[in-house]
Amino acid sequence: MSGPSRRVALKVVGATLGAGAFAYAGQPVAQWAAGIDVDQVLQRHYKELTPEELAQILRRIEVETQKKYGVEVHVEDIPPQDGVSFGYALNLTRCIGCRKCAEACHHENNHDRPTNNSYIRVLEMQQGSFAMEHGTVDYDHAVPAPGKYYMPVQCHQCDNAPCVKVCPVEATWKERDGIVVVDYNWCIGCRYCEAACPYHARRFNWRAPEIPADEINPNQGYLSNRIRPQGVVEKCTFCLHRTRKGLLPACLEACPTGARVFGNLLDPTSEIRYVLEHKRVYVLKEELGTRPRFFYFFDK
Amino acid sequence: MTWLRVIAASLLLVAACRADQAPRRRPPPGPPTFAVEIHVPERLTGVATGDVDDLGRPVRASCVSCHSLRDAAPIPTSMAALDEFHQGIQYAHGELPCASCHLAGPTPALHRADGTRVDLRDAITLCRQCHGPQATDYDHGAHGGMNGHWDRSVGGQTRNHCVDCHDPHAPRFQPSWPVLPPRDRGITGAAPRSK
Amino acid sequence: MSDPVETITPAAPPLPPALSYLRFLATALRRSFSGSWRFYAWMTVLTAIALVGLNGWGHQLQSGMQVTRLSDHVSWGLYIANFTFGVGLAAGAVMMVIPAYLYDDHDMHDVVIIGELLAIAAIAVCIGFIVVDMGRPDRLWHILPGIGRFHWPVSMLTWDVLVLNGYLLINLHIAGYLMYQRYRGRQPRKRWYLPFVFLSIGWAISIHTVTAFLYQGLGGRPFWNTALLAPRFLATAFISGPAFVIVLLHIIRWSGRLTFGDGPIRTLTSIMRVTVLLNLFMLMSELFTALYSGGAHAAAVKYLFFGLHGKHALVPYIWTAVALNVASAVLLFLPRTRVDRRWLLAACGCAFVGVYLEKGMGLIIPGFVPSTLHEVVEYTPSITEWKVTAGIWALGLLILTVALKVGLAMWTGRVRAPDALPVAADADAE
Repeated sequence: MSGPSRRVALKVVGATLGAGAFAYAGQPVAQWAAGIDVDQVLQRHYKELTPEELAQILRRIEVETQKKYGVEVHVEDIPPQDGVSFGYALNLTRCIGCRKCAEACHHENNHDRPTNNSYIRVLEMQQGSFAMEHGTVDYDHAVPAPGKYYMPVQCHQCDNAPCVKVCPVEATWKERDGIVVVDYNWCIGCRYCEAACPYHARRFNWRAPEIPADEINPNQGYLSNRIRPQGVVEKCTFCLHRTRKGLLPACLEACPTGARVFGNLLDPTSEIRYVLEHKRVYVLKEELGTRPRFFYFFDK
Repeated sequence: MTWLRVIAASLLLVAACRADQAPRRRPPPGPPTFAVEIHVPERLTGVATGDVDDLGRPVRASCVSCHSLRDAAPIPTSMAALDEFHQGIQYAHGELPCASCHLAGPTPALHRADGTRVDLRDAITLCRQCHGPQATDYDHGAHGGMNGHWDRSVGGQTRNHCVDCHDPHAPRFQPSWPVLPPRDRGITGAAPRSK
Repeated sequence: MSDPVETITPAAPPLPPALSYLRFLATALRRSFSGSWRFYAWMTVLTAIALVGLNGWGHQLQSGMQVTRLSDHVSWGLYIANFTFGVGLAAGAVMMVIPAYLYDDHDMHDVVIIGELLAIAAIAVCIGFIVVDMGRPDRLWHILPGIGRFHWPVSMLTWDVLVLNGYLLINLHIAGYLMYQRYRGRQPRKRWYLPFVFLSIGWAISIHTVTAFLYQGLGGRPFWNTALLAPRFLATAFISGPAFVIVLLHIIRWSGRLTFGDGPIRTLTSIMRVTVLLNLFMLMSELFTALYSGGAHAAAVKYLFFGLHGKHALVPYIWTAVALNVASAVLLFLPRTRVDRRWLLAACGCAFVGVYLEKGMGLIIPGFVPSTLHEVVEYTPSITEWKVTAGIWALGLLILTVALKVGLAMWTGRVRAPDALPVAADADAE
């Protein structure tokens, strides 16, 4: 073959091989793209949805959950109440570190089972020190152990939340009753909020959660415990699917010693107001100016 | 030509933009109309017999099932004097003798420091006598487990009785084993595996 | 060497502007796919690596980010480390522009386009790393201003989106305009590129400042929450950028595609001498602040340089980085380096790798160790992460190769439109 036509022939062969290699290498991307739900991709932000659109989306989530996890669930959207501003307090004298609150959260919020994921992380601290460097999370002995006290940490729903500031798409914001929520269908998964949170309160779905059908909590809220998709960030919502209906959060109900106190900060007769007015409460990392709504106190 | 392109692009952007909907609100909570119920633990209404029924549930005998049939023995001065169902009680409640709480008489009862009779179910009254700070905290929901609603215009609350957690004869809160150890990648160092 | 010089005399009447521009693009495209056997070999290797990366990313999309070794404790890793370094490289490319236009360094004018093309390729690499780090790239449109919800000006990430894309557009315009004018054999008009050039100088500083502010603004991360972060970012950007460009200039000179004097290389070397020392000084300042006062805030620095609670995975990396930075400083100041090209290239290599290690793993990971609850959780990238990273760098090199090949050919007048006017041999692009 003469020069130019050999060149052309080589180019054609090269291009064909290249196209083939591209198709082969790009298969997983193509499969992922084929599996994308167009409705979900085009869905607008929670704050921009009309009630009809929201109702449609809730139905769609119920159908998807049925398909993926094999269980019928009921997803609601409950708006905040006027005159309600939530606060939470934790009695460090009474906490025994049993982690039943973490377990209740795990079940209530439909967390991934193999990782024992929970929004609550309980630290076993040394008596006489507030230093978290000396704290352990994976203690495995009878509690309470002598010389230790226990400090559960979860989202503090900060009034000056760094996570809300840094989100580039406003997928997380502070609602009027004080709860910082995430629109899981809007979050792009950049994890800037997870980097910004000073309290390790945020969790990312490194994969889709694995939960057996009989363990799924079917009473779900759109902004709280409906089963989150892969690739989005989530966090404690003070069980807003319960608390906005007047119920206590799951972690509080599970606490055997009553170390947890929850209520409406705007109600002067509430239990939380009693604690704030009569106990020496403090917050974690106060110097950062995050103004948390989660208070710690000792009885003694 | 450029101005046409600019207008087309702006129209597209405006169409894609959307204003926020008016935020949905609900009215504030009403006055508390539902009650706070205090749970009555089994221990205050009977004793464990040690037997189980056909379904495997432990059988408890109510106080009256014996105390209505025969006279009660006098209040003992030490644990060694206990017999029948009341044997084996561990005692670790300070230096208090049995009679400082228990009232002698045909039906089991307790008494306050001034001698007033108190039914077993109302044992909290006795706890309050000495444990004032805990009692105040308890009344304000800052001590002891609870279930139900924070908003008592919607539903009630059930609170644990003192005796639900604190055995009156050995009140120290018993140690337990922690549940749900974290198994995230930060702890295990490995990718999550299916169970 | 095998590109034929296209005919100079206009063979046909000029085309209308739109068609002429299309022909320009078509020519550029054609030129991207033809060259010597060395070109084909290089491009095939890069494409192969890029495809491996694409495949790795596909697995990540399907299985989720569990295929990385990131965790809720260390939630940003190799991808963001490379992104940060890439922004520095893009900003550093402007190092050519400042002397050329602010100081009227005529020697630099010949090679400025190389810096601009490097900036374009580097920004493409940065965008690549952002996309692969996102948990939901299918929702990318959410971040588009006016279409999604853009949390500007509060979120620093939105500033980053604006400045990075703006920088890309400015450089695309400048390089594209100059190339197109040269392709048409016309004199580029100053008003269409000079303002953009000056804009790009300030803009380049801003891209790296904004990226630094991303980290600097997080009060919960004491390792990052220091005012010195933005200055350090700029110093390291102005090490890695010039280092890469010096090596690139040597390669271009060796290829014979462009002839230029030693001026540009000398200028860039002088810049590096200052910035390498500045970076070492700032490193010393950070070390002193952390270790002298001590306490919990120093934990991340202790982890990075000495290990913490028995965990010391990063210690070899950071000390290697420091050694490389010191080595490059020493080499740059030796008189031998002015004379012997290999010593200069060695200094550039040391500087580039040193900054890559220090800014990549040595900046991102310690921000997360210890965690905000003071847990020490380590991180080493997984194979998939390495594959995707290699793939994106290969893509960047692909873009750079094509841009330089076509760009330099048009810049030097070797490739011109059939209807181009003849350009005088000594015409300058001013």
